[in-house]
Amino acid sequence: MSAPIDTAPHDGAPGDSGESRPLLRLRHLSTDIALRRGTVHALDDVNLEVRPGETLGIVGESGSGKTMTALSVMGLLPSGGSVVGGEILFEGRDLRSLPPDEVRRIRGVRMGMVFQDPLTSLNPTMRIGTQVAEPLRVHEGVGKAEARARAIEMLRRVGMPRPDKIVDDYPHQLSGGMRQRVAIAMALICSPRLLIADEPTTALDVTTQRQILELIDDLREEFGMAVILVTHDLGVIAGRADRVAVMYAGRVVETAPTAQLFASPRHRYTEALMESLPESVTQETGARGRLYSIPGLPPDLSRPLNGCRFAPRCRFAAPECHTTEVPLSAGEHRYACLHPVTATTTATTVRAVPVSPPAEEPEAAPEPILSVRGLVKDYGATTGGLLRRASGQVSAVAGVSFEVRPGETFGLVGESGCGKSTVGRLVVGLEKPTDGQIVLDGTDIATLSHRERRRTHRQVQLMFQDSYAAMNPRMRVDAILAEPLEIQQVGDPSARRARITALLDQVGLSRRVLERYPHEFSGGQLQRLGLARALALRPRLIVGDEPVSALDVSIQAQVLNLMRDLQRELGLAYVFISHDLSVVDYMADRIGVMYLGKLVEVGPAHDVVRAARHPYTQALIDAVPSAAPGRAAPRENITIRGELPSALNPPTGCRFRTRCPIAEQICETEPPLAGDLHQVACHFPLRPEPGTTAAPTG
Amino acid sequence: MARYLIVRLGQALVIVVLVTIITFVILHLLPGGAARATLGKEATLEQLAAFDHEMGYDRPWIQQYVMYVQRLLHGDLGYSFQLNQSVTEAIGQRLPKTMVLSLLSTLLAIVVAIPLGVIQATRRNRWPDYTITSLSLLAYATPIFFLGLMMIILFSQVWPILPPEAPQGFTLGEVLADPAGLVLPTVTLAVVTVAVYSRYVRSSMVDNLNENYVRTARSKGLSEGRVVVLHTLRNGLFPVITLLGMYLPALFSGALVVESLFNFPGMGQLFWQAALKRDFPILLGVTLIISVATVFGALLADVLYAAVDPRVRLRRSAS
Repeated sequence: MSAPIDTAPHDGAPGDSGESRPLLRLRHLSTDIALRRGTVHALDDVNLEVRPGETLGIVGESGSGKTMTALSVMGLLPSGGSVVGGEILFEGRDLRSLPPDEVRRIRGVRMGMVFQDPLTSLNPTMRIGTQVAEPLRVHEGVGKAEARARAIEMLRRVGMPRPDKIVDDYPHQLSGGMRQRVAIAMALICSPRLLIADEPTTALDVTTQRQILELIDDLREEFGMAVILVTHDLGVIAGRADRVAVMYAGRVVETAPTAQLFASPRHRYTEALMESLPESVTQETGARGRLYSIPGLPPDLSRPLNGCRFAPRCRFAAPECHTTEVPLSAGEHRYACLHPVTATTTATTVRAVPVSPPAEEPEAAPEPILSVRGLVKDYGATTGGLLRRASGQVSAVAGVSFEVRPGETFGLVGESGCGKSTVGRLVVGLEKPTDGQIVLDGTDIATLSHRERRRTHRQVQLMFQDSYAAMNPRMRVDAILAEPLEIQQVGDPSARRARITALLDQVGLSRRVLERYPHEFSGGQLQRLGLARALALRPRLIVGDEPVSALDVSIQAQVLNLMRDLQRELGLAYVFISHDLSVVDYMADRIGVMYLGKLVEVGPAHDVVRAARHPYTQALIDAVPSAAPGRAAPRENITIRGELPSALNPPTGCRFRTRCPIAEQICETEPPLAGDLHQVACHFPLRPEPGTTAAPTG
Repeated sequence: MARYLIVRLGQALVIVVLVTIITFVILHLLPGGAARATLGKEATLEQLAAFDHEMGYDRPWIQQYVMYVQRLLHGDLGYSFQLNQSVTEAIGQRLPKTMVLSLLSTLLAIVVAIPLGVIQATRRNRWPDYTITSLSLLAYATPIFFLGLMMIILFSQVWPILPPEAPQGFTLGEVLADPAGLVLPTVTLAVVTVAVYSRYVRSSMVDNLNENYVRTARSKGLSEGRVVVLHTLRNGLFPVITLLGMYLPALFSGALVVESLFNFPGMGQLFWQAALKRDFPILLGVTLIISVATVFGALLADVLYAAVDPRVRLRRSAS
C-alpha cells in the first residue's frame, strides 16, 4: 500500500500553518465498500481538518458517510471496506503510507474512539479494569499493578462512582450510561490527541446524554485534545462543536463555525435539514405549521453520480446542478452549492404555510374516546430456574389516569423504563392491567367478553417503532394489509382489495408496492405501511409507540406530516409515545410526562414544554439539546444527576424525590396529580397553574 | 453459584428418576417378560414362574419399582445369565476403557478443532476456509466404519506402522500399556468429532468477530492475534462447551462401531454383543448408564458454562 502522490490542486489553503497546524487533515479521501451486489462508494473526495483542541461536529443522515469517515481515520472499516484514495494526515504523517504496526500504535495511543452502543461495545467476559488498562499494558508496557491503579484513576475522572470496586466488575453489571463512561475511560487511558465519538449518546436517555456530552467537553479541556463528534442530531452538535461539517451522500457539503452554520446555513441541504426539525416550527410561534420534508431518498452510492448529489431532492435545483461537479468554496464557511442560501432567497415561504389552527377543537369537549383510570401494571420478578420464587414486583405502571378526546393527540413522554410503552400496550389490549380501568368509547374493556373485546379493539390500533420487525418478512404487502380485515371478517375479498388500495393512497404509497415484501422498503416507507395497516380497520384511536424514533430527520418530517394530515381527514385520535420532547411538542395537543411508572405532569403541550411545573419535566426539557441558534449553549437550570432507580423497589412517596434537587421531607408522602387543565404531581410545583379563564387551548 | 448448582443438580436428579422409570417399563414390556428374556426360549413355564417369584416379578408394579430402585442404589443392575456375570461387574470392567477412548478422542478433537475453526473464521471465504470446510464435510459424511477400515488398510497394511487391533488388556493398566494400539481407534473416533466441533468454532468465531466489542478492541490498537485470542476466543468457545456435554451420547454411538471394528473390549462392544445375543439385562444396564451419563454431561456443560461466563455466574449468585 503506497500513498498516491497528490497532484490535484489544493483546495482551501492550509496557509498559516504556524498558528494552528491541523491535527488531522483528510485530503481527497475516498472509501469503497465491496458488497456482493456491487461496490458502494461510501466516501468520495472528503476534505476535512481538525485543529488541536477543537471539537469538529460531523452531522448527516444515515448513509451520509459520517461514520465511514470516522472509521476510515481509525482504520476500522467493516469487512470489504477500504480507503481507495486520498490522504489521512495525522500529525503531519499520512496514515496510509505508514507500516501497519505503526498505524496500530497511533490508533491505540494517539487516538481514541467511543462507539454508539455501549451495551455491545465492551467485551462481556473481561473485567472492566482489564479492558480499560489494556492499551497501557500493550502500548506502554506498564506493569499489572500500575495499569490497574491508572485504570481506577481514569474511571474516577470519567465520573464513575466507586471506581476501585467497578474495576473488578463485568460490563453487564453496569447501566448504559455507566458503560459509556467506561468506554470513554478506555479511549482516554493513553491521553490521546484526538477522540472520535461516533453517536456517543444516541442509545442513551436525554438526561444521561447531557451528562456524557458534558463529560466529553470537560475532558477535552483537561486533556487538551481534539474531538470529532459524529452524530445525526443537529441539537447535539449545536451545543458542543466549534465547527461543523455537514455530510450528504458520501461528501462534505458544508463546513463552518457552529454559530455561523446554524445562524445562516448556505447549502440547500443544510437548510432543508434544519427546516425538517419539529422544533423549527414550534420554536418561534408555538403554533404548529407543516414541517418541511425533503422529498425522495438519498442516492444509491453504488451507481455513478453526476453533479450535486442533493440536486434530485432540492427545491432550488437548476439544470446545471445535475451536471456540474461543485467543489467546496474557500474560506472559513465553505459550501458546495451553486445556488446557496442568501439573505433574500431563504425558503421562508415554506415555513409560513399555516396548517389547521389548533383552535379547530370544538368548544364543548366531546366524550373522551379513551379514558384511563388508575391504571396499574406489576410484573412479578422471579429468580432461579426450576425452583422459581417471587422476589418482588416490578412496578411498571403505578396508577396512571388520563383521557384522550376524539381528534386529539395525547403525547406521552419519558425516559426508557418509565412505563410509557407499557401504558401503550395496555391500552391496545396486548397486556392485561393488574388494576385500573380502560374505558374505550364509553365501555369499560374489563367488563366485555373475549369476543366483544376483540370487536372493540378495532377502535384502537398500534403503530410500532420498528415496523420491519412488526411485519412478517415472508408476507407480501397485500397480505399484510389484508390480515387485520380478514381477522375481523370485514367485507368480501374484493371489498378488502378496494380498502387496501384506498389505504395505500391515503399513506402516499404507490399501488405497485402490493406485491413487494417488507425488506424492499426504506424506513420511512415502512412507517407508512405500518400506518396503513393500523388504519385498515378504520380505528378512532392509534397508539404510536416511538413511531418516528428510528427515522432520519427528513424522513421523520414526512411521517409526522402524514400523521397530522390523516388525523385531520379522519378525525383520528393519537396516543403518541416518544422519548423525544421536540417531536411530542410538535405533534401533541396535550402532554403527559411519565417518571418511573407515574404521570408527574399532564397539561396542554405548549404549557408543559414552555412552563413546566414539575422539576423532572423541567430537567428533561433542559437536557434536550436544541439546534435553535439562540439556545445553542446548554442552560444551567435544573440538572438531574445519577440514574433511574429500579422499578423493582421504587422510592416511596414521590418517586422522583431521590434525584430531585428541591425535594424535602414531605416528598416521602405521595403527591396527588392536582390541578385543573395543567396538572402536576409535586409538593413544590415550579409554577402555579396559570389562570384558566380561557377555554382549553390546543 | 452454589444455589445455581443445587438447582441444576435437582433438575438432573428428576431426569435420572424419569430414566429409571422408563428402563423399568421397558423391562416389563419385553416379549414374554423378563423371565423369558433372561432364561431363553427353552425354559419351561414352571421355570419361568419360579424365576418370577424369585426375582419378585409377581408382586405389584409399584413394589417392583421400589425394589428395582433399591437394587440400583446398591449398585445392582441385574444379572446376565449369558455372561454369567452381574451386569454391574460386566460394565465396571469395560466402562473405564471406553471412557479412556472417549476422553482421548475428545481431547484430540478439541485440540485440533479449535485452531481449525479459528483459522477458518479469520480467513473467512478464502482458500483456507474453503479447504477446511470441504474436508470437514467429507469427514462428517463418511460412515465411521468405512473410515476405520480405511485407517486400518492405510496404517497397518499399506504402511504398517500401527497395529490394526486395539489393546486387548483386561485391566485399564494393561490397555494403557499399549499406546500404539490406541492410536487408530482414537483418531477414527476423533475425525468426525473434529468435523463437528470445527464447524461450531468457525461459526461462533465468525459471529463474535463481527461484534462491536471486537471493533472496540481493535480501536485500542491491539494486534490481530491479541484481538482474536484474548478477546474473541473466550466468547467464541461458549457454544462448544454446550456441545461438549451434548455430544457425549453421540460419542458412545461412535464407540459402538469403533470398538467392534478394532475389537476393543469396551462398553460399545459389550452393548453390541449383548444386542446380538438379546442379553436384555446388559442392554438395559448400559442404556441406564448412558442415560445418566448424558444427563450429567449436560449438567457438566451448564456448570462449565457458568464457570467461564460471568454473565451467567454473577446473575445467578446475585439474585
